[in-house]
Amino acid sequence: MKHKSFVAVFAVVAAVLLSGLMSVVHAQDTIKIGGGFDLSGAESSLDLPASNGAILAVKEINAAGGVLGKQIDFVVRDSKYQMDTTAVIAKQFVEEDQVAAVIGFTDSDSVLAAGPIIQAAGLPFITAGATSPKLPDQIGDMMFLACFGDNVQAAAGAEFAFKNFGKTAYLLSDLGVEYTTLLGEYFKARFEEIGGTIVLEDSYEDSATDFSAQITKLKALSTQPDFYYIAAMPYNVGSVVKQLREAGLTAPVVGGDGYDTPDLVKVAGDTAENVYFTTHALIDKDNGTEGIKKFITAYNTEFGHDPENAFAALGYDAVYLLVDAINRAGSTDAAAIQAALLETKDLPGITGAISFVNGAHVPQKGVTMIKIVDGKFTLAAEVVPEGVPAADPNAPMPEATPSS
Amino acid sequence: MSLTSYFLQQLINALSIGSLYALVAVGLAMVFGILRLINFAHGDLMMIAAYIATFALMSHIPLPIALIMMMVGTVMVGVLMERVAYRPIRKAPAVAALLTSFAVGQILQNSTLLVSRFAQQPVQIAFPQIDFLRGVVTIGDLTVSKVNIASLVIGLGLLFLLNQFITRTTLGLSMRAAAEDLQAAQLMGIDTNRVIVTAFAIGAFLASIAGLLYAVQAGTVNPDMGFTPVLKAFIAAVIGGFGSISGAVVGGYALAFLEVLLTAIPGLGDILPAATTSPSVISFFKTYLPGSLSSYRDAFVFVILIFLLLVRPGGILGTTDREGRQ
Amino acid sequence: MAQTLKSNLQRNGFLILLGGLLLMIIGLESSGSSLWQGIFINLGLYIILVVALNLANGFTGVFSLGHIGFMALGAYISAILTLPLAQKRSYLPNLPAWLATMHFDTMIGPFPLGFLLATLIAGIIVMVVAFLVGGVLMRLSGSFVSVATLGFLVIVRVLLVNSSNITRGSRTFSNVTGYTDMWWVYIWVIIALFVIWRIKFSSFGRAMFAQREDIAAAESVGIVIMRPRLLAFVISAFFTAVAGALWAHFLTSFSPNAFYFDITFRVITMLVVGGMGSVTGSVLGPITITVIAEFLRRIEDSTRLYGISQIILASLFIFIIIYRPGGLMGEREIDFGWFWRRGRPSKPAFEGGGEQPSKT
Repeated sequence: MKHKSFVAVFAVVAAVLLSGLMSVVHAQDTIKIGGGFDLSGAESSLDLPASNGAILAVKEINAAGGVLGKQIDFVVRDSKYQMDTTAVIAKQFVEEDQVAAVIGFTDSDSVLAAGPIIQAAGLPFITAGATSPKLPDQIGDMMFLACFGDNVQAAAGAEFAFKNFGKTAYLLSDLGVEYTTLLGEYFKARFEEIGGTIVLEDSYEDSATDFSAQITKLKALSTQPDFYYIAAMPYNVGSVVKQLREAGLTAPVVGGDGYDTPDLVKVAGDTAENVYFTTHALIDKDNGTEGIKKFITAYNTEFGHDPENAFAALGYDAVYLLVDAINRAGSTDAAAIQAALLETKDLPGITGAISFVNGAHVPQKGVTMIKIVDGKFTLAAEVVPEGVPAADPNAPMPEATPSS
Repeated sequence: MSLTSYFLQQLINALSIGSLYALVAVGLAMVFGILRLINFAHGDLMMIAAYIATFALMSHIPLPIALIMMMVGTVMVGVLMERVAYRPIRKAPAVAALLTSFAVGQILQNSTLLVSRFAQQPVQIAFPQIDFLRGVVTIGDLTVSKVNIASLVIGLGLLFLLNQFITRTTLGLSMRAAAEDLQAAQLMGIDTNRVIVTAFAIGAFLASIAGLLYAVQAGTVNPDMGFTPVLKAFIAAVIGGFGSISGAVVGGYALAFLEVLLTAIPGLGDILPAATTSPSVISFFKTYLPGSLSSYRDAFVFVILIFLLLVRPGGILGTTDREGRQ
Repeated sequence: MAQTLKSNLQRNGFLILLGGLLLMIIGLESSGSSLWQGIFINLGLYIILVVALNLANGFTGVFSLGHIGFMALGAYISAILTLPLAQKRSYLPNLPAWLATMHFDTMIGPFPLGFLLATLIAGIIVMVVAFLVGGVLMRLSGSFVSVATLGFLVIVRVLLVNSSNITRGSRTFSNVTGYTDMWWVYIWVIIALFVIWRIKFSSFGRAMFAQREDIAAAESVGIVIMRPRLLAFVISAFFTAVAGALWAHFLTSFSPNAFYFDITFRVITMLVVGGMGSVTGSVLGPITITVIAEFLRRIEDSTRLYGISQIILASLFIFIIIYRPGGLMGEREIDFGWFWRRGRPSKPAFEGGGEQPSKT
C-alpha cells in the first residue's frame, strides 16, 4: 500500500509538471506589461493605490486604441511584501508571462529583490514609487524611476525645515528598510551641509509598535531640538506621531513620502498636527492642477473612491512613461525602449513633468511639501532644493554596465 | 527633564509594558501548568480580540457592546481551539502539541487575513479611537498616556481577581490540583475537561483585554500582531518558572524592567547634562554603551532566557526542577 | 502486485530513481521554463533541509526550532563571499578590509569553483557555530530545547539585522550571482541523503534512536547521550547551511525576514508529513507539500483569496498530528537496493511511529 501511494505521488508530480510545461504557449496579439505590487502585505497602503493608478492608465490607453496598434495586457502579481515571493513573481513575469517590460513597487527593498532578475532578462523596469537614487547603479541600465530620488526629497525637507523651523533637529530612522535608512542619511548630509545640527540620532526596529523608549530619551534632552525629522515607513508613521504627541512633544514633525498614506491621520487622529512631509504631488480635488482634478474624477469612476495618495498618481504616470517610450521606440524591443526612455523630455504627468537628463535614470522633478491641517493634507510649498547630496557618497559612480 | 524624571518615566514605561506581558503570560502558564502545552497560538487570541473590537467599532456598535463581543468572541475561539486541536492530542509528546499550536496560530492569522479581505480592508487597519483611552496625564514633567495607566490598573485588577478565583473557589482549587498532577486530580474525581476548558477560557479572556490595550497603544492591528507579545510572554513565563501563575506575573514585570533597562542605559551619554556631569562619564557611555546597543535587546533577552533554562529551569521563583534538564 | 513492485524496487530501484531524476532535470533544462526549474530546485532544497532536520530532530528527539538560523548563516556567509568585487564596493561599502578584498567568484570554464568553496566554508563555519551552540543547548530536552533553539533563531536574526556593515541589516541583500541550478541542488540532495542514511544505520544512528526512546536505558548500556545528540546537530547544521547557500544563489536576493518562522514552520510540516525518523519520508514529505502548496498557490492567485493555502496546509498538519502522528512513513524506509545495502542491517532495527505494522 505504501508503494502504491509512493508511485501515486510521483505520478501527480509528473502530471503537474507536464501541465505546467504545456501552458507556456502564448498569444502574440497583445503587448504584455508586468505589474508587480504588494497587494496584501504591510506596504499595501502605498502599493494598492499605485496598482490601481496603473490599471486605470492601461484602461485609458487601451480605450484610446492601445500602443503600436495593439492592446496592452497588464499582468498584475502580488509580492506580499515578502522578498522571496517578490523574486518569484519577477521570474514569472520573465518566464511565464514573457512581458515586454515591468512596472511597479513603491519601496526600494522590493525593487532590489525583483530588479536584478528583470535586469538579467534585459527588460526595462520602471518603479512607480521606490525612491532610492542608488537603484539604477545597484541594478543596472534597464532600471528607471518614475519619481524623484530620496536625496532630492530629503534635501527639500532639510532646507524647508531649516528656513522655517530652526537649526537643530532630532533624527529618528527606521533602520530596518532601505528607504528610511537612506532618507535619514541624506537628510543628515544636507542639513549639516547648510549649517544645521542634529542633537540626537536614534532608531527603532521596523516591526516596533511601542516607541516610548526613544521618546523618553528625546524628552530627556536638556536642549530640545527645533523640529523632528522622522524617516518612517507608512505602517509605522501613525503610531510614531501619535506616541510623540501624547508624550507632550509638540515641535514640528518632518518626514518623507512614506507619510503619504491615509493611515497617518487614521491612526494618529487629532494628534497628527504640525506634521510636514515631502511627496510627489498633492492629490486634492479643490487645489490641484487640472490634470490632478481629471485624474481624481477618473479614478473615482473606476474604483468608487478618490485616490488615497500620490502613489496612485505615480502608478498612473509610470504606465504613461513606459507607453510613451514604446511609442517613440516604435517596437517592444527592450533596447529600443530603454533608449527611448533615456530621451524622455518634459513628459507631462500627474506628479509633474518627467525628463531624464544626461543619461540619468532618476527623473528631475519638483518636490511637494504637504502640511497636515485638521486631518487634511494641504499644500505647504513646492520646493526645488538648492543643493542635493550625492546619491552614493561612499563610492564613485560606477560606469553604467552595458546590457548583456 | 531631569535625570530622575528620566528614570521615573522609564519606570512607568516598564510597569505598563509589564502589565501587558503579565496578562498574556498568565494565560500561557495556566495551560502549561496543567497540560505541559506551550500554546503559541495564545498571542493570536490577542489578535482576534483586537480585530473583533476593530470591526465592531468600525460598524459603529457602541463601545460597551463591542467590548462584550470582543471578550465573548475571544473566549469562544480559545475554547474551540482546545476542543478541536488540543484535546485529541493530549497524550501526544510535548513537541507535537507545540507544533500544533503553531499551526493553530497560522489558521487564525490567515483566517483573519481572509476576513479582512472580504470586508474590503487593508492588511493593516487603523484601530478606531476609543475616547476614554485617549490623551495623557501630566504630573510635573512626567507624561503618562491614559492607555498606559489603564494597562497598569486593569492589569493589576485582573491579576488580583484571578488570584481570588484560584485560591477561593472550588474550580480554582481544582485547577491548582490539576496543575500539580493531572492524573491524581482525575482520580480524586475532578472533572479535568472542565478544568482545562476553564483554563483556556480564562487565558483567552485575559488575552482579549491585553489585545485591546495593545491595539490602542500601537494604533493599528494586523494579523501578525500577536507574535511578538506571545514570545515576550513566553519568556516572562520561563523567567517566572513555567507553569506557575504568580511566577508568570513576576516574570512579566521582570522582563519589562530588563527590557527597559537595556534601552534606557545605552545612549545615556547623549542625554546626560554636559554642564553637571564629568566628561569622563559621558565619554564612558558614548564609548561603551552607545545608543545603538539597545537594538541588541532581544538577543540579550534570549541569552538570559537560555541561561535561565540551563541553570534555573524552575524559574527565579521556583525551586523544582521540572522536566527541563536531562 | 505490491510484492513484485517491491522486489523490483529493491533490485533496481535506485538506478530507476536516478535515471528518472536525470531525465527530469534534462527535460526541465531543455524546456527552458525557469519557473518549473525553480519549483524543482525549491523541492530539492526543501529535501536537504528536511532530511537534515530529520537527523537532528527525528533521530535524536531533541526538537530544534532554530535550524533556519543555520540556513540564514549559510546564506549570508556564502553570499558575502561570492559577491564580485565591483558589487561589493557599491553595495557593501563598509565591509571590513579583509572581507572587502575577498571574492569567491572564480570560474573554471563553466564551473563556479568559488561558489563551491564558499558553500563549503559557510558549511564549516556553521558547523563550528552548531558545535558551540549545541554543546550548551543539547543538555536540555522536551519543549525546553525547542524554546532555547527558537531563542537561537531570534539571536541570529538580531545579529544579522544589526551587523549592517556586513549584511546590510534587515534591508534586502541583493545582486547575488545565480549560480545554483538543478545539478548543484540535486548533487547535494544525493550527498545529504546518502550521508544521513548511512548515519541512521550506523552505531551512532542506533545510539541516537536509543537515547531518544529511553535515556536511562541508553546510558546504562554505555551510550553517552551528548555525543550522538551533538553529532546529529552538527552534521545537520552543515547540510542546513549548504541549503542556505544554495538558496541564496538561487533566489539572488533575500533579507533576514526570509529566514524566520514561515520557513521554519514549512520545513517542520514537511518533516512531520514525511515521518520523523525516516529518510525516505524526508523525500516524500517535501514532494507532497510542494505539490499541494504549488497547486494552492495557483488557486490563491486566481481566486485572490490570499491566506487560504496557509489555512489548508496548517489544517492538514493538525490532521496528521492527530490521526497519523508518524506521518507517511513513520520511521520505516523504502529499500532502494544496492546503493544503500552496505549500511543496511538485515532486519530493521526500529519500528513504530505510524500505527501500521511495518512489513519488511
